[in-house]
Amino acid sequence: MRSLRVLSGVLLATTMMPVVMAAVLADVEIPSDEASLQRGAQLATSVCLGCHGFKYLRFGNLQALGFSDEQFDSLRAGQDLDAALDSYTPADVARDLYGVVPPDLSLMAKAREGGPHHVYTLLTSYYTDESGVTDNHLLPGVRMPDVLGYSSAATPGERTELERQALDVVAFLSWAADPKVEQRERLGYFVLGYLVLFAALLYVLKRRIWARLG
Amino acid sequence: MASTLLAWINRRFPFTSFVRNELTDYPVPRNLSFWWNFGFLAGFVLLLQIVSGVFLAMHYKPDVNLAFDSVQHIMREVEYGWLIRYLHSTGASAFFAVIYLHMIRTLYYGSYRAPRELMWWSGQVLLLLIMATAFMGYLLPWGQMSYWGAQVITSLFGATPMIGEELVLWLRGDYAVGDATLNRFFALHYLVPFVLCVMVLIHLVALHHVKSSNPSGIDLAAKDNIPFHPYFTIKDLFGMVVFAVMFFAVVFFAPETFIEEANNVPADPLQTPPHIVPEWYFLPFYAILRAIPDTLGGAAAMTVSVLIFAAMPLLDRSSLPGGARYRPVYRAMFYLFVMDVLVLGYLGTQAPEAWVVVVGRVATIIYFSIFLLLPWVSKIEERWLRRRGLPTALQATMASERRQKASGV
Amino acid sequence: MADTDEADAGRRDFLTTTTTIIGAAGAAAACWPFVVSMNPTPGVRAQGAASLPLDGIPPGAIRTVAWRGKPVFVFHRVPEQIAKADSSQGGKDPQPDAERVQDAAWLVVVGLCTHLGCVPNKTADGWLCPCHGSVYDNSGRILSGPAPRNLDIPPYTISADGTLMIG
Repeated sequence: MRSLRVLSGVLLATTMMPVVMAAVLADVEIPSDEASLQRGAQLATSVCLGCHGFKYLRFGNLQALGFSDEQFDSLRAGQDLDAALDSYTPADVARDLYGVVPPDLSLMAKAREGGPHHVYTLLTSYYTDESGVTDNHLLPGVRMPDVLGYSSAATPGERTELERQALDVVAFLSWAADPKVEQRERLGYFVLGYLVLFAALLYVLKRRIWARLG
Repeated sequence: MASTLLAWINRRFPFTSFVRNELTDYPVPRNLSFWWNFGFLAGFVLLLQIVSGVFLAMHYKPDVNLAFDSVQHIMREVEYGWLIRYLHSTGASAFFAVIYLHMIRTLYYGSYRAPRELMWWSGQVLLLLIMATAFMGYLLPWGQMSYWGAQVITSLFGATPMIGEELVLWLRGDYAVGDATLNRFFALHYLVPFVLCVMVLIHLVALHHVKSSNPSGIDLAAKDNIPFHPYFTIKDLFGMVVFAVMFFAVVFFAPETFIEEANNVPADPLQTPPHIVPEWYFLPFYAILRAIPDTLGGAAAMTVSVLIFAAMPLLDRSSLPGGARYRPVYRAMFYLFVMDVLVLGYLGTQAPEAWVVVVGRVATIIYFSIFLLLPWVSKIEERWLRRRGLPTALQATMASERRQKASGV
Repeated sequence: MADTDEADAGRRDFLTTTTTIIGAAGAAAACWPFVVSMNPTPGVRAQGAASLPLDGIPPGAIRTVAWRGKPVFVFHRVPEQIAKADSSQGGKDPQPDAERVQDAAWLVVVGLCTHLGCVPNKTADGWLCPCHGSVYDNSGRILSGPAPRNLDIPPYTISADGTLMIG
């Protein structure tokens, strides 16, 4: 009967779980320009890597983002081109420190409902209440600290700057989750163009052939 | 030289006569609409799935510690690996889309009726094999949705009376879905498509024996048939390329449409994702499963809801030819059925709140009632139609059928 | 009348030919991603280099290192072995020993028989391939047996601090 309990548990869980509604996620345009991606990569390697890793990315992959040689050298800080972007905090240390291993970020931009919008909303939903406790509107009680310092931003200008940083990070995360997107879409236009042309030829040919039947 | 070789072969193997009888000169009703394209398309998608699957298997590793990583290896390191994987994941959905449209045509035009029962039944076996293959293949990326989908569906077998618990253990080879499960699902996911090919061959042999049905619902006289080549080679080819435009639009511009977010998180046996939904092609059956408050009853209802299609040739007792075209009541039931399936599919995506459960039960009752009432409805409809006077077009059709029978064509 | 029919037939032929060629070209192009998916991935290509410190290998000893998935023999030869190797040109693939080494004390060869790729076993005077009996001397040169050429020399350098870099 154990498996039946698992089954009913799962069926029940689908009823109880609050579904994160897309409506609460910030409706922002995720940039994909080179400048945003480069700034995002710099934030990711200097800030995110403190706790999270990108195990499916190698430092060499970052060259695709169009860095100059000096920029790239300072970014990789002596790391081997074949080295993965591992977290500066090893998994076992992280487990001791936080109780959990912070999730890998390679696929984060497509691992949550809402994708990059989820991450952007998370980064810009930190607030500090009257008693001085910092929490998050999107994921109350989230263990990740307010790394961008959004909750302590004093002026709208500061907030705008942090929102831009969040966008840069999210742009980089989207690229990291799908680094082939550019190659894919370029090939896609070519293939679809070919297929439409071929379909048109076949259509004319079909008309001609069927016309023989009168 | 070529003709000598051909003659040599033909003395030993009926090559030329096979090509002539089954491909080039094979007679096909000239009045087929585009609805008759989907069988050819299903064959195309099957080929695509086998080719892309074999190439994925060259890089995939069926091991709980390596499976998720190996998929990312395919997506990032293997040249065009992303394309081959997206072809395969999109191809699975395309397969069901094509097969369901193929079935809808069969139901609407009554193509399941005598003498095509064996075609329909071999098609039903194909559907079951495709479902099994898709279900096992879905475990292989070893994401959260893969894991919990397999966990839930294998748990269903636990509802089997007496041996349920042992059966689940045997299916999984482990106390929960684990390494043993992943390995056997991979082995079978690779094997079953070849069994499927044999079944396709049987389906085609039956087709070439009874010939294609057509929108009129009766078999045409010889003069209304045209050779497959060039008329249907060009028509099927054109249909295939139109299909390819839609298919590749998804592959290149929206390939993650059929990959849930939760499946981009590695499987975690200790945590169920918040929103478990099966793939779209299982949603109506999933809704029927959830509509029944009892696990055994739900599993049984879900199984029957798939198998019941096979009973159609027995349930439809009308002696009027064809399907929905000349039979208004049958047509109404057909459209009711399609809408009911769409409603069930929508309910399958929703968390089972009170209204979802109620509507789900009503839709489930309608689903089964349509099948179970058909024997009476088809008879009553026939009596009513005959009393009212058959439509002229139908009378002409039936007269031509009688003439053919009399002249022994 | 006949004219238009012929013109029509000509056009149809042109159309059929064009469509067939375009279709065949598309089918051929569709094979390409599958073919190149079988190439070595960047991770595999990155394994192209191997290194080994030489100071731990006593004279007369041999170390085997993996380079691109193949064994490479690193043989620390003693003076008698060097002298013997130097005194001959080998067998069916004659080559002076000096051309086969950068430093006469260190012989570095790919440890795969040039016949069908088995790993030869060390003997007192060289190597013997267990598969089909090819015999090599202490310079890795083929003396007898079916192997067509001497054992291959991988690209390598020996740095000033005594580290062997292969690849």
